[in-house]
Amino acid sequence: MLVNAPSMEELVEALRCLPGVGKRSAERMALHLLSAPAEEAQRLSEAITTARARIRTCSICCDLTEADPCAVCSSGRRDRGVICVVERPAGTIAIERGGGFQGLYHVLHGALNPLEGAGPDELTVNRLMARVDKGDVREVIVATNATAEGEATALYLSRQLGTKGVAVSRIAHGVPMGGGLEYADDATLSHALEGRVRL
Amino acid sequence: MHLTSLTAEGFRCLEPLTFEPAPGVNILRGDNAQGKTSVLEAVLFLVTARSHRTNTERELVQRDAESFRIRGAFQRSDRPLQMEVNWWRNTKRFKVNGVTQDRVSDILGKVNVVFFAPEDVALIRGAGSLRRRFLDMELSQLSSRYLHALQRYRESLRQRNELLRGDKMDDSLLDVWDAQLAQHGAVLVEERGRFVQELNEHARQAHACIAGGEAMTAVYAPNVSPETGLEAALRKARQGDIKRGATNRGPHRDDFELVLEDRPARNYASQGQQRTAALALKLAEVALIEARTGEYPLLMLDDVLSELDAKRSRRLLEAVPPGVQCILTTTENDGGTPAFEAADAQFVIDGGCLARR
Ligand SMILES: [Zn+2]
Repeated sequence: MLVNAPSMEELVEALRCLPGVGKRSAERMALHLLSAPAEEAQRLSEAITTARARIRTCSICCDLTEADPCAVCSSGRRDRGVICVVERPAGTIAIERGGGFQGLYHVLHGALNPLEGAGPDELTVNRLMARVDKGDVREVIVATNATAEGEATALYLSRQLGTKGVAVSRIAHGVPMGGGLEYADDATLSHALEGRVRL
Repeated sequence: MHLTSLTAEGFRCLEPLTFEPAPGVNILRGDNAQGKTSVLEAVLFLVTARSHRTNTERELVQRDAESFRIRGAFQRSDRPLQMEVNWWRNTKRFKVNGVTQDRVSDILGKVNVVFFAPEDVALIRGAGSLRRRFLDMELSQLSSRYLHALQRYRESLRQRNELLRGDKMDDSLLDVWDAQLAQHGAVLVEERGRFVQELNEHARQAHACIAGGEAMTAVYAPNVSPETGLEAALRKARQGDIKRGATNRGPHRDDFELVLEDRPARNYASQGQQRTAALALKLAEVALIEARTGEYPLLMLDDVLSELDAKRSRRLLEAVPPGVQCILTTTENDGGTPAFEAADAQFVIDGGCLARR
């Protein structure tokens, strides 16, 4: 019986720090790791340690990478005149998966969020400005999230970049491709309508 | 739109409940604390995810229970609609036609209700925050554009206030939150202005009908007029905002005023006049929702008759458009009042047990 087992409690607490993991799933995961063969838990713990040791932020785009500069920043086939700004590393993964984008990225590691103490200095805004100041950049595409914080960040960046002679654009948020309008939720639809483009 | 059947288990003091109201006027009779209001509250929670009596959802669960479930079958003019909510230890899950809804906001507007309780007279004489809450509740049901703008506005307001209080404040940061507030606030002001204007047309009629000719007008009073513009007003108020650590201008300070015969009802009207004005406002909502959606909302009047004399009760019932399903609660036993004459179905509730008469 696992009552009064501090190491188990510690494991559950550690797992609960992961996004989307509540108390119950943390307990399920912990019990699984403790009752599966020891190698399985060992493999997970080593994978975490190794990945943590090897992965760092790219000195150019601030995305997570094993090699610095990252594969995108060091590729000769990308358009160096276009930078797409995202909040989190997950954003670059999503856009790469979509294919079609040939420019470079910049990862802010968050959005402006006074309630969480995040201002420009907590984000990688200065690094972005420095990249633009070097002069190769024609266009910055701001792909921050469609939240109040993401929108405020987009506006802040467009104002800061406005004086630097680059085009600044905001990605459109709207109805998923191949999905009928009836499958889009109301907020997405009203957002899509407000961001409509002339044909 | 009408409710054809409601079942509830584990809700408040109600015994497992089956309530099958008639399409027209329904009277729910019972002594105090027998569960009349809880039946209305169950309907309200099912379709708006809120209670009018409490913000602490735990209070909605029966003593010694951990969960409750409410199900409702509704008939819209074009199709039937099933709603269901399962509440379990502070988490709630809504289903519409058997399909789980990801977000609570997705259920708003599926079924519209207009609810009146005696304490709603505060809508006339109470603080502006009550009238804003009324506008927000009603418009959130009617317009997803409004709901979206309201959520964004509130988030941006919290962020701006935090920025004002913190040590990381600078003008270029305040500028972007001002712009967010201005963008979403403009939607709120536009929708509220249109809503009050429409409400006004219907309220005038409803009020004249119940009060026998006395004229009522609703006037929207935005804290910042569209001509001034919120961004300019915020800029002007910035130094004061910084000093006080709070945002002092904007739609979060809006109000609307009810005027009875050229005098503000808030200060000059008697108790009875204020109650009639509040009722007229609710009836106006019924008409407005029909005009906007093509479907009458469900009208629920909690304990209204006891406060009105026979003449006003009769006029109130006459002011309800035919075709509206109405659920009235009352403690009165008297079968002779106008409401009882008009009733299509009567129910009695005693100790949480409901029975049709
Ligand atoms: Zn890179």
